[in-house]
Amino acid sequence: MTIEIIPADYFTIQELVDLYNQTRVDYLVPMPMNAERLAEYIHIFDIDLNLSSVARAGDGQVLGLSMLGVRPPWAWITRLGVLPAIRRSGAGSALMDSMLANAQTLGMQETHLEVIRNNVPAHRLFLNKGFKEVNEYLVLRRAPHSVPEAVKCSTTWLDREAALGALEFYPRHLTWITALDSMRNAPDLSGLRVEFANGSSGWLVFRCHKFSLSHLVFHTEQCSPVKIGIQLLVNLYIRYPRHDTYAENIQVEDRHLPALLGMGFFDNFRRIEMRRKM
Amino acid sequence: MAKILYIEDIPDNATLAQRLLTGRGHEFLWAKNAEDGLAMALENQPDLILLDLGLPDVDGQTLSIWLRGEAALEKTPIIVLTAWPEEVARQTVEAYGLNGYLCKPFKLDTLMEIIEANLGA
Repeated sequence: MTIEIIPADYFTIQELVDLYNQTRVDYLVPMPMNAERLAEYIHIFDIDLNLSSVARAGDGQVLGLSMLGVRPPWAWITRLGVLPAIRRSGAGSALMDSMLANAQTLGMQETHLEVIRNNVPAHRLFLNKGFKEVNEYLVLRRAPHSVPEAVKCSTTWLDREAALGALEFYPRHLTWITALDSMRNAPDLSGLRVEFANGSSGWLVFRCHKFSLSHLVFHTEQCSPVKIGIQLLVNLYIRYPRHDTYAENIQVEDRHLPALLGMGFFDNFRRIEMRRKM
Repeated sequence: MAKILYIEDIPDNATLAQRLLTGRGHEFLWAKNAEDGLAMALENQPDLILLDLGLPDVDGQTLSIWLRGEAALEKTPIIVLTAWPEEVARQTVEAYGLNGYLCKPFKLDTLMEIIEANLGA
């Protein structure tokens, strides 16, 4: 099959959404989008549609797509998908080559991506393209339910600027999804800081939507991360008792994890972060 | 016969369910996203809701909270139809207070069994 690679900005957002949703109909983790959500995704994650690609057959049929986020010196490959009937035809490989060539041309030092654990064909493709596994992350979910009473501590709500200020000094690696640049692009950022009389303290930065909370990043400055994590979550859910929560890319070694599990979060799926030097 | 609302973004899945359910004499309603699903549920007061978790605007988990938050729908049986792995589907149903699940692909007989069990409950 002849495969032609075309810049994604040749297509409308709705055409890209339609293609993306078709590539995901049988996906391991169902994640359809609409035009509004894709436009937001493009904005928040600095996707460059001119450097993103659509694969097309010689007869004009669209086969798949892939998107490239650009934050020099890094690039990020995302939304890679091929129509189920076309898989194993080389379209995925051609899309990956196009993303890597674009990252190379821009002079990026490293390209990142995430793959869902157990997505064996995609994982194999990325290994074949020279990517190496770096970290494993959890994607967690929590339905609204009652929380224990808050322990006496000083609680400060952080506005957008204060939340970004806290994130700026976050000492560990964050994936593209919750990185400072992504959070800076998000319109709905907020945060919370707790401090106990003995000086132990920590903060939580998150995105607050109308019915849900997402993109949680925890940091404990002093004291046990579990104790701080629980107090952050208790205070969060006292304020947002009816909100659903989706916590993406919590590192498996994150020391706040027992607090999350203790507060009713459960494991939805796992992602593997992979990187490739350019 | 019952009024059944299916909230599902893939038209082929909806068509299949429509054939099955109308063939058994049920009234079938289809919403292709969460927002329409909530509006149709409120307007039509279905006897049972079939809910896909992967929806394009708001996912099925969050939608189930909207649905359960409406007094008129608080007790309406909600059955999750999903491509998620079984353990995730089970935990989701438990955590969100829903009535049952089927993991895709499933047999149509199994779908009818779970619908009839919940309509009779």
